[in-house]
Amino acid sequence: MKDIRHLLHVAAAFVVVIIGFLIARHLVVPKSFGRIGHYRADAVDEIKALPLRYAGEQACAPCHRAQAKAKASSRHKGIRCESCHGALQAHAEAPSSLKPAKPKEGEMRAFCARCHEKNLSRPAKFPQVDPREHNPGVACSQCHPPHQPK
Amino acid sequence: MHASYMETLREAMSMVSGYIYPNELELQWSVLIVLYPYITGLVAGAFILASLERVFNVTAVKPTYRLSLLMALAFLLIAPLPLQVHLGQPQRAFEIFMTPNTSSAMAMFGFVYVWYLMAVLLVEIWLDYRREIVAWSKSEPFWPKRLFYKLLTFGVDNVSPRSLAIDDKVGRALTVIGLPSAVLLHGYVGFIFGSIKANPWWSTPLMPVIFLFSAMASGIAGVLLVYMFLCWARDEHIEMPCIDTVAKFFLTALIVAFTLEMLETLQTAYEAEEHFDIISLLVEGKLYFSMIFVQMFMGSLIPMFLLGLCQLFELPEKVRKVFYSASAILSLIGILAMRWNVVVGGQFFSKSLRGFTTYKMELAGREGLVSALVLGFMPLVVLALLLYLLPPWGESAHRRKEPA
Repeated sequence: MKDIRHLLHVAAAFVVVIIGFLIARHLVVPKSFGRIGHYRADAVDEIKALPLRYAGEQACAPCHRAQAKAKASSRHKGIRCESCHGALQAHAEAPSSLKPAKPKEGEMRAFCARCHEKNLSRPAKFPQVDPREHNPGVACSQCHPPHQPK
Repeated sequence: MHASYMETLREAMSMVSGYIYPNELELQWSVLIVLYPYITGLVAGAFILASLERVFNVTAVKPTYRLSLLMALAFLLIAPLPLQVHLGQPQRAFEIFMTPNTSSAMAMFGFVYVWYLMAVLLVEIWLDYRREIVAWSKSEPFWPKRLFYKLLTFGVDNVSPRSLAIDDKVGRALTVIGLPSAVLLHGYVGFIFGSIKANPWWSTPLMPVIFLFSAMASGIAGVLLVYMFLCWARDEHIEMPCIDTVAKFFLTALIVAFTLEMLETLQTAYEAEEHFDIISLLVEGKLYFSMIFVQMFMGSLIPMFLLGLCQLFELPEKVRKVFYSASAILSLIGILAMRWNVVVGGQFFSKSLRGFTTYKMELAGREGLVSALVLGFMPLVVLALLLYLLPPWGESAHRRKEPA
């Protein structure tokens, strides 16, 4: 027994570490973890309780009829209003509290290029330009009204 | 969106050739992921060399036994760092233990790592050094060091012949367990790449085996080089029977690793599946220098030739030393290139099999060259510290060079 005491001490140290790990795990791992998957189940309710930021297209049309009508028949009909104007639930609830943003003139060329920059991986029929050669310095909206682009 | 972002995108697009998918523009696994299998490989190789003496009784390699264990430990302690720096979320290293995800190979790797570090390597080193630790805990004049040794005795200073004999038996048993653990540790790294079925450059069941043998070659080369360097630095005789034997195992590991790689290449070339065209373009183009020249010619063929010469002819001691160290340096560079070719090379070509992306390494960023160099040299700093705390040169392991 005397000659294996050092081994027993090391084994005891391992047991202490393992118990410490189990205690830490008990304290750190959220109670709802793993109930419905490899994540914290309570997160679902917490996310549900977060305030809405996007109002959705149907909230824009009743007030902004002209733009909605123009866009409905245009090539941009699939793009939601808030894709360009930002999250606007607050504006929908109290229109005067927040003025919707729109891409600034100076930034517009980079903004439009997100979709319309020439790229081999885009379908060939999709309108694409090289912004460095295509009317440099001119805001896209001067020729292509964004609600009804041509 | 900021205009400068578009400029960066345009610049990156100009370096792309052929057709690639948008999400393939940026290489996700950077130079740090090259470093990670390289470092774990050195761990596995060093440990396997140590086990030769312990399990297979290859007594000639005894002078490198402790050094191999310390090298394995130094590199193992740093091995997860490149991954953590790459992720930028170090707390995840603890999260994989707190909430283990059994279906993730990468997450389970944490357990393989801890098992190998805690249950195998640390205990084995402790058992091997216990006699000295007890002696140092009494005789060391520098008190923090003495306290460190005192803690390491775990309150027992019994070094009776029977207790040491028990230590030896337990140590031997641990090495027997440790050997498959070391194989698992590095086989696992190969497994992670080999199981990515979307990438034909990686997805082969041979990947864990190829990684393993190249790991053995790199680990043995590393120990050989450090051993020779330390002997030179400490003005001690290099035990020629020791390095001759180590070189034999080094050559064996190199031959097996190279043959497996060639078999795999041959098989891919002969099968010539739909991905073969892009892979041959990759090897003939972007990877020509790093694969054909550095990995195969410089890192495998030249060392095999030099080590082969030492086996075939009775070369003088001096020549053998030069050949051994040159082979070790070349194959260490070659194996680093192999990791590069696998990790970065495998991300160069598109899943469309019709185009290539590019990789421009940052200099000083989080995943840049400086970061990789620091992480690459860090194990050597840890090794120096370990050599200071646990000097491996016992009274019988080396003998001083006699004055001429």
